[in-house]
Amino acid sequence: MNSLYNHKQDLERDGIIFSFSGPMSHEIIESIGGAIRAKIGEGTDGDKKAALKVFSIFVEQVENVINYSVEKDPSDSSMSFGIVVVGKKDGLFFVSGGNRIESSKQSKLGEYLTKLAAMDKQELKIYYKERRRAGKEGDSKGAGIGFIEMARKSCEPLEFNFQKIDEKYSFFTIKISI
Amino acid sequence: MDNLEIIASKSSPEIMFDASNYTLSLVGESYPENTSQFYEPVYKWVDDCIDELDDQKMVLNIELIYFNSSSSKVLMDIFDTLEDASDDGKNIVVNWIYDAENDAALEYGEEFAEDLEALTFNLVEKS
Repeated sequence: MNSLYNHKQDLERDGIIFSFSGPMSHEIIESIGGAIRAKIGEGTDGDKKAALKVFSIFVEQVENVINYSVEKDPSDSSMSFGIVVVGKKDGLFFVSGGNRIESSKQSKLGEYLTKLAAMDKQELKIYYKERRRAGKEGDSKGAGIGFIEMARKSCEPLEFNFQKIDEKYSFFTIKISI
Repeated sequence: MDNLEIIASKSSPEIMFDASNYTLSLVGESYPENTSQFYEPVYKWVDDCIDELDDQKMVLNIELIYFNSSSSKVLMDIFDTLEDASDDGKNIVVNWIYDAENDAALEYGEEFAEDLEALTFNLVEKS
């Protein structure tokens, strides 16, 4: 069998502390999210503020996978697959998440995230408040302010990527630095 | 109106309605699996309470350590309902209770306060 050593070394090289790939659920948020929050926030060198920020980004990213991934369990369509990793590199925490989307949704999502990445903190605050009071938009399943929330907490402009899987699907990745 | 107590879970706050003095408390964390379903009884209680109020005071004590973006929208909806009722002359007070070490909770409270005029919205540092 293959050793997982190389995989573990890859994770360590990228500064990844936690990595979860598979079916996402609310239980993952509570259990893994709780463990991440404890790991960063507790102990003598614990940073409670960073822990809460990292946790909040983790929650929004897992919820996005649950709500928007088109990779479903064939026997249970309520189960969505994706990946979320939490790490620390060059003194900054980061949370990256990814899931399969229909390629037809790519340009609209890309435009939206480009707009958010270009906004400064004050613009994001105004936009967040405006969207929070507005009705739901399009095919949004949550409050529709998750990405704005993430952009507000990010200390660098949010980063994202679309990788083509086949004619119909692409893989969407988003990275937030804290 | 009846009293109601919903016990906190890891991802949802304790909710207490005290009908005798029109007080609602939310304490804990808020990132429930189904946000609108979880907050349904709160919406209902708030609406019923506003209907019943004459000159009594209605108080909401909110002490949330963390809440996700869906919960943030629910809170804004509730505050907007209370804002409208305050505009109509109802006596309503929101106490936003935060821990001095939790900057984020204070900032969220300040941002809600900025968006509300008629509603009395107090930022209260936890003692």
